[in-house]
Amino acid sequence: MSEAEFAVSKELIKQLIDGTIDAERLLKMDRKDKARFFNYIAVLQERVAWSDQILLRLGDKLYIVINDQRQRVAKCECGHELGDYRKNWKLACKIRTRRTIEEMSQVYDPAPAVPEPGWQEIREFFCPSCASQLAVEVVAPGYPIVFEMLPDLDKFYGEYLGAPLPDSAPDWYEDQTHAVTRQWAEKSA
Amino acid sequence: MAEALSERNEVLVKNLKPAESTPVPTLREIIAKRDQLTESTGHYYGVTELSLRDSDPIKYERFYAKMHSAVLAARESARFVAASPGSREMGESLWGLATAEGDTLAVSLGFLSHTAILPVSIRYMANNDYDVNDGIDDGDVYAVSDGLTGGVPHPGDFYTYVPIVVEGEVVSWAVGINHLMENGAPVAGSWATFSVDTFMDGLVCPPMRTGRKLKQESWWKAIWERRTRAATMNILDDKMRLAGCAMIHEAVHKLIDEFGMAYYKRAIREVIEESRRMILDNMKALLVPGTYNGCAFRLVRYEGLQNVWSHANKNTLIHVRASVEPNENGLLLDTEGSSKWGYHSYNATPGGADCAVFLGMINSFSHNTKVTAGIELAVQRHYPVGSIYNPDNEYASNANLWAQTVALNSIGFNAVSRATYSRGYLEESFTIDGNWGAFQGAGTAKDGTSYGFTNFEWLGGTGRGAWCYRDGEPLVWAAWSQIATIGDAEEFESTVPPLFYLGRKLLKGYFGYGKYRGGPGNSAVHWCVEPGQHLALTRPNGGLSCTPSVGLGMSGAYPGPGSFMISARGTNLDELISEGETPRDATELLAMIDEGQLKVENLEIWKTDCPELALKNNDLFVDAAGSSGGWGDPLDRDPMLVIEDLNTGMTPNYNFVHEMNGVVAVQNDQGEWQLDEQATAEKRIAIRRARLDESQTAESWWHAERQNVVTKNFKTEIQEMYAQSISFEKFNLEFCGFWQLEAGYSLEAVES
Repeated sequence: MSEAEFAVSKELIKQLIDGTIDAERLLKMDRKDKARFFNYIAVLQERVAWSDQILLRLGDKLYIVINDQRQRVAKCECGHELGDYRKNWKLACKIRTRRTIEEMSQVYDPAPAVPEPGWQEIREFFCPSCASQLAVEVVAPGYPIVFEMLPDLDKFYGEYLGAPLPDSAPDWYEDQTHAVTRQWAEKSA
Repeated sequence: MAEALSERNEVLVKNLKPAESTPVPTLREIIAKRDQLTESTGHYYGVTELSLRDSDPIKYERFYAKMHSAVLAARESARFVAASPGSREMGESLWGLATAEGDTLAVSLGFLSHTAILPVSIRYMANNDYDVNDGIDDGDVYAVSDGLTGGVPHPGDFYTYVPIVVEGEVVSWAVGINHLMENGAPVAGSWATFSVDTFMDGLVCPPMRTGRKLKQESWWKAIWERRTRAATMNILDDKMRLAGCAMIHEAVHKLIDEFGMAYYKRAIREVIEESRRMILDNMKALLVPGTYNGCAFRLVRYEGLQNVWSHANKNTLIHVRASVEPNENGLLLDTEGSSKWGYHSYNATPGGADCAVFLGMINSFSHNTKVTAGIELAVQRHYPVGSIYNPDNEYASNANLWAQTVALNSIGFNAVSRATYSRGYLEESFTIDGNWGAFQGAGTAKDGTSYGFTNFEWLGGTGRGAWCYRDGEPLVWAAWSQIATIGDAEEFESTVPPLFYLGRKLLKGYFGYGKYRGGPGNSAVHWCVEPGQHLALTRPNGGLSCTPSVGLGMSGAYPGPGSFMISARGTNLDELISEGETPRDATELLAMIDEGQLKVENLEIWKTDCPELALKNNDLFVDAAGSSGGWGDPLDRDPMLVIEDLNTGMTPNYNFVHEMNGVVAVQNDQGEWQLDEQATAEKRIAIRRARLDESQTAESWWHAERQNVVTKNFKTEIQEMYAQSISFEKFNLEFCGFWQLEAGYSLEAVES
């Protein structure tokens, strides 16, 4: 059989994204075809209200895109840009912190399962525009905000997918998060 | 049977002595050759061509199938020798076959990641010249339960190794493993939760010969009888492991006779190299290269409970930190930044950490190939010396390392989930949590009979985390075994005579919330009836509810809550029984207390490890574990799924989901919840508005938080945790860089 015959259809991908896929069908998913990623991106691209090219999906509502200035940025489904994808996008979010037992009891149940205040705080990261909750951290107070995933996009597209990105450059895979906090520190100095 | 034994004895005799003219390499030489060939070529044992496979694939696969069927058959036959429920009917056992160097060739069903640590004890034996003084002979029996020299993830897991020797040369090892009912530590059970050092870990055996000619020596039985509290169970488990090993031993000798030694030696190398290559292909097919970070925290609450051992009488917040980075040779899992080791039972060893890490790795990448040591060659691990994963103290306890290394596995496994999600393999993408539980202890019956026990039920099956496209399922998940089963209640009742189940249920609302919720955890109520002279128990746990098991939710969801225990001592249970109403889970118990039905003289809720809880007649021990995390923003949950959960009782608290999921519903005359669509839409808008009103920009958050870091305004335990973590360069750079701290910033470990 050819590779194309193994491909999971866009229709199936849509069902997976929407959570409507039939349980029986799910058990019969075909193998991991090479076209899957591009079909997935194509389905996602059809659904967003903007035209920036999606390079990668990071979360249900979070993407890395090439914007109209040819920059690779993190972007919320609502269209809000969260900055250069090499800088932890959480630093462009709004943050709500739950520290007390009352605050934690609003998100954990039943009562004996609620975390104990003092040892950690619950951080909720919201898109500043649409208020979608993009991430949750339950970490010790003082913990640096976690950069969950910095992809090496050039390597991925070039070596894994065989479709190199036209703007490939060595510094695209470089964590630049601390440049943000440095800037904050300098502003307040 | 007699004929079979006779045949085996002939094999044994034949293989005891090398041929006069053949120089037999030592184990040390065998391993050195393996390492040199592997490292110099980048291929396992220097195998660059799969010549046997390619020249005659049918013969090659027939060879492997025989090998694989030997270990499968070993489990399916030998487990019935055992009496302990964990080994006989659950997934708490494994049989395998390894090369002379300890590299895995084939494994049975069971807790498969133990395959990753077989080389530890073999290399220890080689480095200490076991084969030179006084020799390793065909059919010898070795026992191992030490974390440092055997890689064992906790001494409750016991290993039996049987060498397969041909003409004086060790050519393979048959291995049998299972989790004991009781391993003789001061804290009774099989994960000694309050160990201060390895001398409190129970029956810890560095590799030691305990038998010859496929038979244990007589003294070995005395060890079980005198050094553990469940001798009968443990002796039968021991016989079970050895019976399986004997089956593998015989099968492999026959395999060598059939295929020839030259073929055997070449084919076993090809098998591992073939699977290594397949795993690299799988990694490239499934992953997105980059850096994935994760963290978790676990509180060790010892202060006030370790008065006898003053140096251990302190609390410790364990920091589990790891990054995953796919590369040309597979992927790197780096734990740098995790806590240092301490005087508690939660330290790992490199082998024990491997045992956890490879849960996710084998499940993710060995699914379509032979489960061999190939996976170990494809996953590079960094466990810095001095850290909790590689203590620079040989006496560090590792009695209950599983309680925190499972979180390490979750970090690695979730990295894979993030990658498959980004690649569009949504059917593979789900949230990993590690909230297992169990209870353990010892008792003395009225007639003076003493016993020890472990109840594995909430280790056997937990809720699976939410998928990215649907809710997680209850009970189906046990990352450590393919066999998710909580076992029979009646079996566990038989192992702890005074404890009876009043209930065993999924616990309503007990999961991480999100667009899709995690699979719910479980709860049981154990009723103590006429315990005789004594009954007491403790509970080892993965994630305790004091801190969730993992630190990061997936895509805007909350991690699953941790496990907890409730002790209700001095009750009016006799009255309740006469009325026919008794609690069946933790929530029901607390509700009946609130309503005044159940009267309790001493009620304690344990969000951290409980000390020994002595139970008397009509006392109750209630536990809950196995919850799992959600996926996605809870406000994006289909309102009808919320209604369904309310009507099935999966979520018991309307007010909670009203705020969590932004759903407005009313109950009709029949008590059924019905959705108010318009009000739901308005509620969701209001919650979004509140999110923005109640949050602050990351910049303002950072300035406020930074002040606490600069002024070192931490709880003592948290300051110590950071002091340890920034003593490792990688986390120091991250911590100081994120907070923009001045050069020379330090956090001295605080004396508590």
